[in-house]
Amino acid sequence: MNIGWKEMKKNKGKFLILGSIVFLVSLLTFIISGLASGLSQDNAALIKDLPNGSFYMSEDAEETYNLSRIDSSTQERLLNKEEDAVALSIQMGFLNEEAGKQRSVAFVTATDSTFFPHVKRGEIVLDRSLQEEGVKIGDTLTNNQYNGQFIVKGFVDQKKYSHAPVAFIHMRDYQDMYRALEMQFVFVPDGELSHVIAGLQLFSKKDFLNTIPSYSAEQMSLNMIVWFLVVISGMLFAIFFYMMNVQKMGLYGILKAIGVKTNALFKMMWTQMMVITVMALCLSIAISQVFTQIAPNGMPFHLTMETTIQLSIIFLVIGFIGATLSGIQIKKVEPLQAIQQGEV
Amino acid sequence: MTIFTIDEVRKTFLNGEVKEEILKGVNLSLKEGEITALVGASGSGKSTLLTIAAGLQRASDGQVIFEGENMISMNSEQVRKIRACKFGFVFQFAHLVPFLTVEEQLMLMLDVAETKLKKDEAQKEINKLLGLVEMSHRKKAYPSSLSGGEKQRIAIARAIIHKPKVLFADEPTASLDSKRSKDVMKLIRDLTKTLNIATLMVTHDEEMLTYADQIITISDGQVV
Repeated sequence: MNIGWKEMKKNKGKFLILGSIVFLVSLLTFIISGLASGLSQDNAALIKDLPNGSFYMSEDAEETYNLSRIDSSTQERLLNKEEDAVALSIQMGFLNEEAGKQRSVAFVTATDSTFFPHVKRGEIVLDRSLQEEGVKIGDTLTNNQYNGQFIVKGFVDQKKYSHAPVAFIHMRDYQDMYRALEMQFVFVPDGELSHVIAGLQLFSKKDFLNTIPSYSAEQMSLNMIVWFLVVISGMLFAIFFYMMNVQKMGLYGILKAIGVKTNALFKMMWTQMMVITVMALCLSIAISQVFTQIAPNGMPFHLTMETTIQLSIIFLVIGFIGATLSGIQIKKVEPLQAIQQGEV
Repeated sequence: MTIFTIDEVRKTFLNGEVKEEILKGVNLSLKEGEITALVGASGSGKSTLLTIAAGLQRASDGQVIFEGENMISMNSEQVRKIRACKFGFVFQFAHLVPFLTVEEQLMLMLDVAETKLKKDEAQKEINKLLGLVEMSHRKKAYPSSLSGGEKQRIAIARAIIHKPKVLFADEPTASLDSKRSKDVMKLIRDLTKTLNIATLMVTHDEEMLTYADQIITISDGQVV
């Protein structure tokens, strides 16, 4: 007989309170996690969506990509040696629409590669967010540092950098705008040989993302909130079951006296923990997925089912640990003491 | 027939640095179908003796023989199994599980005693026993809605639903008034006889001794 379930049925109010707190904490965790992931996409989708690989920056750039300059002979050597390697440069800047409206973008130029769209001189390919804001194919855009005009040739999905939409331009146009003949870094996808090259510093994708200004600070603070919430939920379980167990010490003693196994008492507690957590998580998963669909376009929110499931598993594990820790007192209960203490 | 023997049982506690001997070599035996009453002044050691016999604490020395085996040399899981399957307990208070109905209390005990009865068989047993303790009408009631006497009747039903060999009763009538005490004692006596159980009961109440087949007086840790 499942006495854990029977207790929950009899004392619905008590368990409903815990369930609703777990639901709120888990929902908040999912939302913040979605926000962290959304901001991360907004900040660095251009880099994040590249396959795993290595990034080379000049050693004297002190891990700041826009101070980095790859010597053209080194770049040529690398690109010849590594088949899918690509050299690229990024600069933040502005584009002016014909109507005079100014838009902040991240100008990106790259050598021929399958990872980035191919653009001719005078052409520009933009992130789709600009299309949603009214920019159309064929529009002409200008830049204060560029003498000519850019003609919008197309749009690409999810290409953001430093919270700005990316604008892909031809290498020569980039050189005209920024008077920089050398590229800032070279990307070599995984599977290719990644090795140390004199004068260049090697970064993994994760390390490179952390060189983007504000990226690591932003992610660290949001992830810290997520982990705090996870820990709080574990503590909630530990405290709730501790209080419940303290109230039930006499009962546990009597049950032990009549021969109930200590394991059975733990199972009772685990059943309650599982039922509460699973119900609370199901509800918060449903609501967070609905939120994913209805979140306003401007809100950087990106919550995948994979992240939700991972967090849910963590919640279950933490809940289990919290409940089990509080259950250690069950092991210590002496039947004799309970009998002598009087009515439970 | 004797099914339970206590042989030269001693119990010593450490009180600070002083050793106190609560039981000083107690002997007794329990027979099937008989109630043995343990009487004595407070602190004489009778409750300690009952809890040692019931496997709730260990003796410092001596033997507690049940079905030919010495419980003192068993490990705690073996003792728990005997408590669950072969012993029944009635305490001073009913100690019912507050969130289980009357029939669920009995179902729980059948589970704990690993009787492996099918659901309908278990239900039949429960109905039969509730009839015997005259509580059939409160089958679906929770303990909070039962009177003191009703609770104790259910506690007795829980103690014997799995057909134990020995019933331990620690002051089973102490929390009841005189009329209810007699009812409960009659019930314990009838069940002891009908189900052929060996009952060991601790009591302070001299009136209850009329229901006992054997009276053992403990004084200062010894049988007098």
